[in-house]
Amino acid sequence: MPEYLEKTVDKFTFRVATDRLYSSEGMWVSLVQPGAPGRVRIGLTDFMQQRSGDVAFVSVKVPGTRLSAGDDFTEMETIKVNLSLPAPVGGTVVEVNEALELTPEVVNRDPYGNGWLAVVETARWEADRARLLDPGAYFSLMQSQVEQELEKP
Amino acid sequence: MSDDRREVVVVPCSGIGKPYGTVSREAAYELCDKLRPRDTRLVALAKLVLGDQEARQRVRASPAITIDGCKLMCASKLVQHSGGTVAREIAVLDVYRRNKGLKPEGLAELNEQGQKLARVLAEELAEAVDEIGRGGTPPGGSHA
Repeated sequence: MPEYLEKTVDKFTFRVATDRLYSSEGMWVSLVQPGAPGRVRIGLTDFMQQRSGDVAFVSVKVPGTRLSAGDDFTEMETIKVNLSLPAPVGGTVVEVNEALELTPEVVNRDPYGNGWLAVVETARWEADRARLLDPGAYFSLMQSQVEQELEKP
Repeated sequence: MSDDRREVVVVPCSGIGKPYGTVSREAAYELCDKLRPRDTRLVALAKLVLGDQEARQRVRASPAITIDGCKLMCASKLVQHSGGTVAREIAVLDVYRRNKGLKPEGLAELNEQGQKLARVLAEELAEAVDEIGRGGTPPGGSHA
């Protein structure tokens, strides 16, 4: 079980798991086998899923798709918005979470666990990793995004 | 409705300002005013929130269908909190997932797809009303 950094605002608590890395767009990345670069699992952060609302549909690039970091990776439709999020790392999609087809709400229920999106065989892990945020840095970014949300009329 | 059938109370969410909340209310009107007017009675969620005695009595006396616009499921929770029995609870989002082309948009007035989604939902709930009237438990129920 990962540990979390948490920020509570009003009735909402946003968690950042401390055992993985993050993109500034609100995706998390973790090694499928800790300590063994190669395959990474990718998902949506808790803050991103709460801000976006209940997920209606998710589509992720199919297995076999080759991606560069920043390429279109997943599209989500929620009760609030349509999201298009970029790949946080480059490589080849090797697995997509089958649960997303019938129970996309798993992204909301368990964003850091069963709500993962896909597994990618990385092409340039060391270079991509250098661009990702550690949990503390993402937590700071998230806090500033939360404050921006609070300032909206 | 024949006299031996039970009246069903219908409680839509009050998600004012959100398309899915509007769908829940439009579906409730379609169900209670057009599809099953003799079998159903609409109860406003706001009255349950305010503790209105007549509304509370109604949900205690009859099985309830709740229609919620989001996963907070306020209508379902309020019925249970008021001492009622939820015979069928449904989330608009789940119906939309089964009808992907019917994306609801608009607040005061739904777009055409949203209106169709409300009708699809109402027809689904009409079947649930019939099932409850026959004494059965429809899919998705029940919570006391």
